[in-house]
Amino acid sequence: MLNFTSDRMNVSGLHSAPLARRRLLFATLAPLSILLGCGRRPKSEQQVVDLYIESDGDFLAFRPDTLTCPTGALVRLKFHHAGKIISARHNWVLIYLGQLEALTKEALDDDGILPKDDPHVIAATPLCDKGETVTTQFIAPPPGDYPFLCSTHPEDMRGILHVTK
Amino acid sequence: MKPRRIPAVLATIGIALLVASPVVAQLKSPDDVKTALRLLVQVSNDFKRQITAKNFARIPHEYMEYTEAADALHSAIKGEPADFKAKVETRLKAAVEAAKKVSDMSANTPDADKLMAEHDKAVTAMNAVFELFPADLRPDPNAPPRRGAPKN
Repeated sequence: MLNFTSDRMNVSGLHSAPLARRRLLFATLAPLSILLGCGRRPKSEQQVVDLYIESDGDFLAFRPDTLTCPTGALVRLKFHHAGKIISARHNWVLIYLGQLEALTKEALDDDGILPKDDPHVIAATPLCDKGETVTTQFIAPPPGDYPFLCSTHPEDMRGILHVTK
Repeated sequence: MKPRRIPAVLATIGIALLVASPVVAQLKSPDDVKTALRLLVQVSNDFKRQITAKNFARIPHEYMEYTEAADALHSAIKGEPADFKAKVETRLKAAVEAAKKVSDMSANTPDADKLMAEHDKAVTAMNAVFELFPADLRPDPNAPPRRGAPKN
């Protein structure tokens, strides 16, 4: 039976062990280390990008109003409602190219409530109250400058996500 | 100049400088005041937008936000002299009442033209509040929002 004391795990200890013991130790540890190594290896090489954006306090603006990420990356976006005074609700909605005006009209008509699978929308956080933080994640679309807005203030709270190659 | 006139001249100059100095130097929380005034304009503009879009059901919520901005102004002038506070609060009360009238009308008389006329009166009442503050603290109601908005 192997005795896994600190001395045995020590490199110098291995050199002094008999050959049969060393082989047995290797035979035991090698498959185990391969299995563990395989389990830890990421399944894909997809880049992960964490983005943070917030409202400009109680004012109707995003801070910052431009964000950047590479195409194909898994984007994990966190939006914080930094208001302290006004009880307006906000969110962050990323829109397909050329769909800004259509979505703005839709948001104004429906009081900022968008359907779950809105065809204009790439990704969106839920609406949140002052002091709250919400998140969304999505795969960054092909390169381009994608508009984003707050669906409850679509004419004021706007910005651009630069998706690079 | 006679030596005994010098203190009188200095006192006159001092008083003149005090009177001429902007009120902002005397305000205890100018940043909070500026924020509150900007929020009043922001919500007032939202009122107008909801009336134009005929989103009448949304107007009472705008009124609630207006009262929140008004409360922020109350807090911002908390430490100011009583006579100044009284002036602001009298005018602010009139502005809030005018905004309430728009809100009440939106439920009873959902007519965009009449609501817009009433909103104009509320804006006049709000501007009367702004006149009590130095020009550099007053928001420009026609200023575009601070953003890098895309065209489409």
